[in-house]
Amino acid sequence: MKKIIKYTGSVLLVAVVAYNSVYFKKLDEVKAGATSFDAAKYAEKFWTEKLTPHVAKAIEIGQLLTLLQTDKNKAFADHAHALGIGNVKYFLVKGSGIVKSVEENQVMVKIESEREKPEVAIATEYVFGNAVRDASGEIDINAFTNSMDFNNVSGELNKIIREKVIPPFRSKVKTGDKVTFSGAIELNKEHLSTRSIEIIPIDLKIVNE
Amino acid sequence: MRFTCKYWIALSLVFFGFALIRCKTRQSADEPKKMAIVVSTLNNPWFVFLAERAAAKAKELDYESKIFDSQNNTSLETDHFENAISSGYDAILFNPTDADGSVVNVKNATAAGIPVFCMDREINSNEAATSQILSDSYSGCVTIAKYFVETLNKKGKYVELLGLVGDNNTWNRSKGFHSVVDHYPGLKMVAQQSADFDRNKAMEVLESILQANPDIDAVFCGNDAMAMGAYQALVASGKADKVKVFGFDGAEDVVKSIQDGKIKATGMQFPEVMAQTAATMADQYFKGKRDFPKKMPVAVEMVKKDNVENYAAYGKK
Repeated sequence: MKKIIKYTGSVLLVAVVAYNSVYFKKLDEVKAGATSFDAAKYAEKFWTEKLTPHVAKAIEIGQLLTLLQTDKNKAFADHAHALGIGNVKYFLVKGSGIVKSVEENQVMVKIESEREKPEVAIATEYVFGNAVRDASGEIDINAFTNSMDFNNVSGELNKIIREKVIPPFRSKVKTGDKVTFSGAIELNKEHLSTRSIEIIPIDLKIVNE
Repeated sequence: MRFTCKYWIALSLVFFGFALIRCKTRQSADEPKKMAIVVSTLNNPWFVFLAERAAAKAKELDYESKIFDSQNNTSLETDHFENAISSGYDAILFNPTDADGSVVNVKNATAAGIPVFCMDREINSNEAATSQILSDSYSGCVTIAKYFVETLNKKGKYVELLGLVGDNNTWNRSKGFHSVVDHYPGLKMVAQQSADFDRNKAMEVLESILQANPDIDAVFCGNDAMAMGAYQALVASGKADKVKVFGFDGAEDVVKSIQDGKIKATGMQFPEVMAQTAATMADQYFKGKRDFPKKMPVAVEMVKKDNVENYAAYGKK
């Protein structure tokens, strides 16, 4: 009798250990888990939690252009971001102005500022590249195992702009409107040119009084 | 007598062993440290420049260096790593042949206590290399693609020539390009083929594509060697004036061709910056620094006719 209890107990113990040690999963699930970076989800979170709050700290574009003329190094040191080595840097800017023309690929805006008052282009067609991802300095490339995941974040951020920021603005804007904007610009420190500034928009509003 | 003889032989061997150890210790303490520069191929002037600049920077920092050519062959690259480890090299400045296949070589070197600094090309591991100094190929091709779309006015037929299919740069460039171009349904890709980053192969591949598609408007190439090969094929078929060629690298002949109006644009990489950064990081490693960024992207700048005066080959001015 004692032997039966002993053997039954041992078998049960082995069964419990075996049951808890081995499990089966579909290969598809495992593969999906291994490459599960969701760039769209990451971009959505980055947009609401990092980028939008950071826009309040953006420099006014007229002020930036004045600083670039008087002290280029300070302007780049204090306001530019880039994730690596090189001449290409990104700035987060904001401002307001009057629409001078609505063109096929862009909206031309004459800046209203106490400083420089250039005419800038707000991109409405070619919204590509890393300007928006990198301009805030809030993203870390080393958090990504694969460069492609990191690049896809740019693609998804630009998609948000193309789908949510531009269409409501583009459908209503007309010459003479007063607009406010925030966005990202790209400048080359070594070969600096501020003649044709293109803003990739993050926020656009028509604010006619 | 026999015992005494064996005894002396054994004792001599022990002393010889100690002498060898002493020699090795003295070498590592007194001799200058050495850097192995392992590059994917020396059959492309761009990589020759990368390797030579890394060697020059190592020399400037007072280190010995030797260049190893992997000939685009991962198993040859493995041999070079084994050589470098057994020959007592203290750091490896590395341009990989394959993003996945090269990971094991880097891991072996790291396990042997040798830091590895990747230059230009990426390996698919964040942990294996000490640091990776990489051209931001994707972003560079996004910029080129915007110009491509503008130049073709959003419509036309084009061919894409890809580089080595196992290299991340091939896909970073292609995906950067397509992340823009694919938004325009008027632009139709009639062929996409690999020419292995090779000029002659690019010429052959495009010649064959032109047989079936004589009416293309543009060719996008994953590097400048292929752009020059594509241009040669277009000259041979009398279409060089009609078809726009775009490259990537910033090689000498392409910069000159942009000045002459033969090639539309290229992405200027900065191999000297990457090579010098890698050698400098190795120097810092020898001096005790261990905290390196795992990835260090180097910005790529687009060169076209209206800004070509700012650039010379390989990012020089």
